Amino acid sequence: MIRALYSAASGMTAEQTNVDNIANNLANASTTAFKARRTQFQDLMYQTIMQPGAQAGSQTVVPAGLQIGLGTRPASNEIIFTQGSFTQTDNPLDLAIQGNGFFQVLQPNGVLAYTRAGTFQLDLNGNVVTAAGDPVQPQITIPPQALSVTIALDGTVSYTQQGTSAAQTAGQIELANFQNPAGLNAMGSNLYSPTDASGQPTVAKPGGPEGLGTLLQGYTEQSNVSVVTEFINLIESQRAYEANSKVVTTADQMYQDVNNLKT
Amino acid sequence: MDPLTSMAASGLRSNLESLDLIANNLANVQTTGFKNDSEFYSLYAASEAEGPGGSDPAQMPVIETNWTDYSQGDLHQTGIPTDLAISGAGFFTVAGPSGRLYTRNGTFQFTPAGRLVTSDGYPLQGSDGKPIQLDPARALTVTPEGELLQDGAVVGKLQTVTFKKMSDLSKQGTSLLRFNGPDDAVGPAAGLVLQGRLESSNVDVAGSSVRMINVLRQFEMLQKSILIGVDMNTAAIQQVAKSGA
Repeated sequence: MIRALYSAASGMTAEQTNVDNIANNLANASTTAFKARRTQFQDLMYQTIMQPGAQAGSQTVVPAGLQIGLGTRPASNEIIFTQGSFTQTDNPLDLAIQGNGFFQVLQPNGVLAYTRAGTFQLDLNGNVVTAAGDPVQPQITIPPQALSVTIALDGTVSYTQQGTSAAQTAGQIELANFQNPAGLNAMGSNLYSPTDASGQPTVAKPGGPEGLGTLLQGYTEQSNVSVVTEFINLIESQRAYEANSKVVTTADQMYQDVNNLKT
Repeated sequence: MDPLTSMAASGLRSNLESLDLIANNLANVQTTGFKNDSEFYSLYAASEAEGPGGSDPAQMPVIETNWTDYSQGDLHQTGIPTDLAISGAGFFTVAGPSGRLYTRNGTFQFTPAGRLVTSDGYPLQGSDGKPIQLDPARALTVTPEGELLQDGAVVGKLQTVTFKKMSDLSKQGTSLLRFNGPDDAVGPAAGLVLQGRLESSNVDVAGSSVRMINVLRQFEMLQKSILIGVDMNTAAIQQVAKSGA
């Protein structure tokens, strides 16, 4: 009976979800390698009030039915994996991926996770780890006597030692990619895990024919959130919310009039 | 019921249905590819609405059907290669669970198997009637004619269609439409496919707000006329009863 009220309420709930999403995007505008999410809406089911071809009276036949929609719902908020811009840091263990790949890191529970945030550090054993302390896979260890660390475009990590002129190779960083990165599960802390929608990772060396991108030493990738776009979305969302709230007040007034029929 | 009250009651009911349609339009103001629904009023002539003497049947307003405004929505740039929009007439064809469905919502995604699917997972169909099959690892280019290119080679063509009679389309929800007409009424679309863009909903918020005010005021007027009808009936019953006594 009160379809208009619930349709408007569904619109308001959907816009709230949209604003939640925009708020999270804006909050992460300076998070390294953060990828913005985009909310997508869909219309809900339709209620058939009058069947096409029904008898509308002794003289008329309904030529086409009457279908009334029942509002909207947020269908998905997919991750937008466009490249963020780079910031120079000069930190030798800061890496930015120029391309589509992900770094692989080993979580404390022994499960691999994927990230694009290449702000790495050394732990007390000389292993290359993320800010959370998860080691990069394949594991790369740099001895304490190393003087300088160089990471090539193809991920080869080398260092020089006192007294030797030749550089020692410590290992090669590998990248992973997914058939549908938008289907990855975001776990927070810049980490992603694969799902059935994303597919299983394909692992390859950077700069190879697989097109996983190359590494850039001394740079970090910025968030790809466009503050201007987010503000435009915020304005649109607020106005849509207002329009739906007007439907609620109008419906309320009309139902009040109905109640006043019986004086 | 007397003719005045029954006419006004029919109008009240129609106005409630009008508001339902407006509510659904405004709820979908941010739904990609959504098309505005409008009501189509007509007059309902029936014996129960006959005027005094049974000669001149009164006519009651009813919402007979709704029609969908398939005009173009604004196209906005997203820069995502799997976002597609149609500029001009036409619909994308997707393979639904029970037959073909059509949509203007071009937010597609790759599956791990290399298909392009809607956000509900229904695969997008090619012009050969089979689902589009691509290599998700390689860059995708879509030409305005709907051809899909990877590494410069044509790997498929989208099936974009148009219909002889748009009123044979019915909304299924989740941005999908079903065509209820004959198969020969489906033809190739003339619209251009644009990559990296999405079509906004074509709901006119300002126009809908004005219509909503209109519906509300008309509703109040009809409510008043019912109250007047009640007053007249009350007066008639009481006065006639008095004079008869």
